[in-house]
Amino acid sequence: MHNSLKWPQGLSCRLSLLILAACLVLVAQVARAQGNYEIQVYGADTAPPKSLMVELHSNYTVSGQRQTIDGVYPTYHQEHETLELTQGVNNWAEVGFYVFTSEQDGHGVQWVGDHIRPRVRAPDSWHLPVGLSLSTEIGYQRAVYSPDTWTWEIRPIVDKTMGRWYLAFNPALERTLHGPDVNQGLGFAPGAKVGYDFTKKINAGLEYYADYGRLGSPDPLRQQQQQIFAVTDLNVSPKWEINIGIGLGPTAATDHLIVKGILGRRFDWGKKSAVD
Amino acid sequence: MKITRRRFGQLSGLAAGSALLPGALRAAASADIKLEIAPYTLEASPRHHIRTVAYNGQVPGPLLRMRQGQQQSVEIQNHSSEPEVVHWHGLFLPPEIDGAMEEGTPMIAPGASVRYTLTPDPAGFRWFHTHTFAGKDMTRAQYGGQHGFLLIEPRDNPGHYDQEAFLALHDWSGHFAGSDDGFMNPIYDISTINGKMLGFGEPVRVKQGERVLMHVLNSSPTEVHWIALAGHRFQVVALDGNPVAQPQTVAILRLAPAERVSAIVEMNNPGAWVLGEVRKHVQAAGMGMVIEYAGAVGKPIWTQPESLVWNYRQFAAPGVAKPAGEDVVRIELVFDSKFQGHGNEELWLINGKSYPHTDEPVLKAGQRYRLVLKNQSMDDHPLHLHRHTFQVRKIEDVDGLEGLRKDVVLVPAKSTAEVEFVADHPGRTLFHCHQQDHMDRGFMMVFRYA
Repeated sequence: MHNSLKWPQGLSCRLSLLILAACLVLVAQVARAQGNYEIQVYGADTAPPKSLMVELHSNYTVSGQRQTIDGVYPTYHQEHETLELTQGVNNWAEVGFYVFTSEQDGHGVQWVGDHIRPRVRAPDSWHLPVGLSLSTEIGYQRAVYSPDTWTWEIRPIVDKTMGRWYLAFNPALERTLHGPDVNQGLGFAPGAKVGYDFTKKINAGLEYYADYGRLGSPDPLRQQQQQIFAVTDLNVSPKWEINIGIGLGPTAATDHLIVKGILGRRFDWGKKSAVD
Repeated sequence: MKITRRRFGQLSGLAAGSALLPGALRAAASADIKLEIAPYTLEASPRHHIRTVAYNGQVPGPLLRMRQGQQQSVEIQNHSSEPEVVHWHGLFLPPEIDGAMEEGTPMIAPGASVRYTLTPDPAGFRWFHTHTFAGKDMTRAQYGGQHGFLLIEPRDNPGHYDQEAFLALHDWSGHFAGSDDGFMNPIYDISTINGKMLGFGEPVRVKQGERVLMHVLNSSPTEVHWIALAGHRFQVVALDGNPVAQPQTVAILRLAPAERVSAIVEMNNPGAWVLGEVRKHVQAAGMGMVIEYAGAVGKPIWTQPESLVWNYRQFAAPGVAKPAGEDVVRIELVFDSKFQGHGNEELWLINGKSYPHTDEPVLKAGQRYRLVLKNQSMDDHPLHLHRHTFQVRKIEDVDGLEGLRKDVVLVPAKSTAEVEFVADHPGRTLFHCHQQDHMDRGFMMVFRYA
């Protein structure tokens, strides 16, 4: 694997909060809380068959929401640890499974929820000029971390490697199945990445994450979530995935400073002979 | 006979002049060998049609048989849309007609033709193929269908046999994809033997008790292939057309790009059998054919080997290894690659330089040279020396080998091989990795004679 974006999943967990008017001067309307359990732009590749990718996503909110709003814990100084297991099904499909946890002073280590994520991609034999893949994700998260407890996401993925440059775009659509936003329809939460190979082992670039609100009727800018991360991917081995980044959230509805890290290891299982 | 530059000039003049001859006279001077390069659609199976360029409207091209030392007139017409050249792989020809632009062979412009005379030497199983640049176009050059068998009849056959079978292994419909080594590498959708996928070509029909001499050529642009024949074994008698010092009976053949293996198979197990690529995904892409005994019924049988076993050393002369003599001049060549981004192939380097900026070592006629081939890269490389045959003296950590005469040797990643040759064919001499993508990315150099 030459890019650490390949076994992705993005819990752009869309939370809709009723802002307590007395507490918040910025917003007196609905705002969306942030997930930030897994911050990653997906690449189009899937995990190869007979292999299991184990990833640990570690995200720490240095500067975030300090208030408990509508029963949802503040994000400030929350440490999120997400275990992601991705099993390759064949050479064009995989299934991912997530365990989300959160650690915070006063709340200890808490289980947040679980998601499952099947994904397929265009086979190599299609000879497409770009990598193309489609991911769907469904799962549950506890109401103290997200008022919308059941959510579904569909995520097209397009990527392209050109010389030293790597580009990826994930125009994801999200839907609340259970929770306050159940009648909000589809939300639009794109992600994008641009990276440059400075050496064979070091790629660095920018990742962008957003949640614009309802598709066709975007939220005002201050209620939108927008984050930009400076990231580096270390391609030390095909079996390892290392991604480190620091992100800024410039809008009022976004956590303002987050540090993220992904550490992944691929395990090949089953007896693989030279003739396979 | 060797063709001198002066003689070649005379022949070239004749070739140019022949265009002015009246038709009847030209017909009277018809060439012994006529190759027509033209677009062609290959039917690998009823569901797999490949648009390519081929010789004489067939893939592989025509089987050419020549007698060692007996002059042949050759006419090549280029009806394709690109400049072309035909390389006579494994022959001792002058650089003007050897078939490599880097040596000085003129390219044949689209619509043009050339005519010359060549003297086939040395005897053995050779081949001919295009020798052009493909770059990222994986339908051109060796990615296409321009390859064919050439048998220069030996004075002594390498073994007794009842019939011959010529088999060309090839890969098609390639594209570049990222791989675990961090670079873009070619992968292929279709693999064939003699242009057909398994189940769609004519079987090789044999009789019980026959000895079949199989001449196997790997004409793949980039891939090493492993071949087995279910229910049978191969007695390898020649490598790259040169008789081996010690024939061995093996279950599997390994052929790097451009390598040839000649092996006798004793037909002593009646039935219908599959001869095919041992690796499952390559056979599934089509690389296989049926060997059918007379009167055999039922579905062809394949027996899956569980490992890939091959080494060059087993074919070397037995006995004590001999060290290199003091009269041998060593030339050290270090191969490595330069990172160009994960979305690119590597740039290949010989002694730190990439063709056309590589060094041009000067050879002295009659001198024996030892090429020390240090492969520091992560890839295996099938290295080919034009216009000469070399002896493999050291490979797989064994030195002093005798009796392994070849023109291509596969040097594994992170290893060193050593080969020796006598500089006895003056003129520019190309040395390169035979993987098309590596050649295209700088893995070439030219030796010149003093």
